[in-house]
Amino acid sequence: MSTLSFNLRTAPTEVLDLSALIPSKLAQLSLGDVARVALGSVPDAPLAGDVFDIAGTPGDTIVISGGSPFLDYVGAGLDGGTIMVGGPVGAYAGRGMKSGKITISGDAGAYLASTATGGLIHVKGSAGDFLGGTRPGDRFGLLGGTVLVDGSVGQRAGERMRRGVVVAKGKFGPAAGSRMVGGTLWTEAGFGARPGPLLRRGTLIGPSVDELLPTFADCGRVDPVILRILSRYIAETLGPLAPKALPATVRKLAGDRATIGKGEILLTA
Amino acid sequence: MSAITKNGVTIDDTFAEAFGMSGLGLIITADTLKWARISAEVMTGFGTSVIGCGAECGIDKELSPDETPDGRPGVRVLMFGFSPDALSPQLRNRVGQCVLTSPGSACYNGLDSPTKLGLAAGPRFFGDGWQTAKKLGKRRFWRVPVMDGEFVIEDKCGVTTEAVGGGNLLVLGRDRAGLLEATEAAVAAIAKIDDVITPFPGGIVRSGSKVGSKYKGAIASTNDAFCPTLKGAVATECSPDTIAVLEIVIDGLTSKAVADSMRTGLKTLIEIGAAKGVTRISAGNYGGKLGPHHYHLKDLLP
Repeated sequence: MSTLSFNLRTAPTEVLDLSALIPSKLAQLSLGDVARVALGSVPDAPLAGDVFDIAGTPGDTIVISGGSPFLDYVGAGLDGGTIMVGGPVGAYAGRGMKSGKITISGDAGAYLASTATGGLIHVKGSAGDFLGGTRPGDRFGLLGGTVLVDGSVGQRAGERMRRGVVVAKGKFGPAAGSRMVGGTLWTEAGFGARPGPLLRRGTLIGPSVDELLPTFADCGRVDPVILRILSRYIAETLGPLAPKALPATVRKLAGDRATIGKGEILLTA
Repeated sequence: MSAITKNGVTIDDTFAEAFGMSGLGLIITADTLKWARISAEVMTGFGTSVIGCGAECGIDKELSPDETPDGRPGVRVLMFGFSPDALSPQLRNRVGQCVLTSPGSACYNGLDSPTKLGLAAGPRFFGDGWQTAKKLGKRRFWRVPVMDGEFVIEDKCGVTTEAVGGGNLLVLGRDRAGLLEATEAAVAAIAKIDDVITPFPGGIVRSGSKVGSKYKGAIASTNDAFCPTLKGAVATECSPDTIAVLEIVIDGLTSKAVADSMRTGLKTLIEIGAAKGVTRISAGNYGGKLGPHHYHLKDLLP
């Protein structure tokens, strides 16, 4: 396994677009060519070599030492291989990624994993608003893959998310699962206020909800087999990082009945 | 035809002639192994011969909770038919009537194959619009609300066109009870092999057939050459002391699995057969012109 290392020379003072720094775009380049990769699409965008000390061999692993909230689009479009970031990242990390793995040792900004279709993202800190969400022009948010956040998650996670699983050890902020059309949000700590506004389909799993929308219908205690499948799938995908398996029985709240209402909030406690 | 004798049992120098088929595998789980088996047994019932039943079906093996997608005990069943298209309605009807209806059941793909059939294509619509799907990784699971909770059924199942149907052993004996006992033991040994089923009742056929009939409209009729009550009246394959002939028919997802099963069956029959009154082992073929797979008994001897 060959590793290419990027060490920040100084803390960035402007937003940088790191979407060019993924293994498939760099694997065939020399170190000199890697240093000349532009970090952004504007004509005077800084070059990788201006911002980072670059060492190692281009291959399937990229390590970004340090980190900064100014590093946007880390691992965007990733289609294989591994990216490890030693600190925080900015917005749009893992946007549109297809496969591979991104590990972020600090916090992640907004729109983490938006429009991603596969792969695994592990954020050891917390994640910002619109995790797996849509930005203007996107039809859907997260479309597949798995996101694990050790900390908490901001507002409106999973906005118009269609597939995939987001697991948070901490709490989701207000309006998680907003306009969601499928997929799973799973928290070990609970949901903030009013989760699932206009939730069409999809599953929100957690021990508690701070404030429930009036358009969710209490279906009482249920023991669906899908909980077992989901627990097993996450255990296989995340290994030792996986949350505790779901209980056999949960309380189901069906909604959002302001729309087609085929989604569900499953309360584990 | 030069036969050889092993451990007091004569093995004919002949071969089993088998046909290419399409096969699929399903995993049926339930709250207990008992209920997974009940569902699987009903679902594979009336699945002896593709001619009259539409598909040849059987239980391949039991699965521990570790081996199933939902961590519950399960059973793997196999279904064989002429083609994926011919299997499709069988799959829909059998799963819809026998698995969907069975308490606590769930139904998953049990065969990795690039070619797929829509496993949930019919059954999910039982949900009347309340069905929802959950895609995890590459697998999509449908959840159909039913009276005991949710019926989970995987969206697609793999189907192979490399399967083989009609591997067989003919077991001739001079004692009816002993012959049945020895043949049962061979079926039990074959059951331990993965990827095969013996679709007939208890794995054993007593009415082996030949192609054609004197009657218009019947495509098969009794294999008179192996009928002991006709030994004086027809060109018989029975020995003078043959009192009964039983056949084991084997369908497998691969040709190797069928060959391994015949080898295992032969081994068991040779080991215990003579003491139980088994006198000869033969195999059914149509002269080698109809089926592409030929399993020569002499190549499968232990």
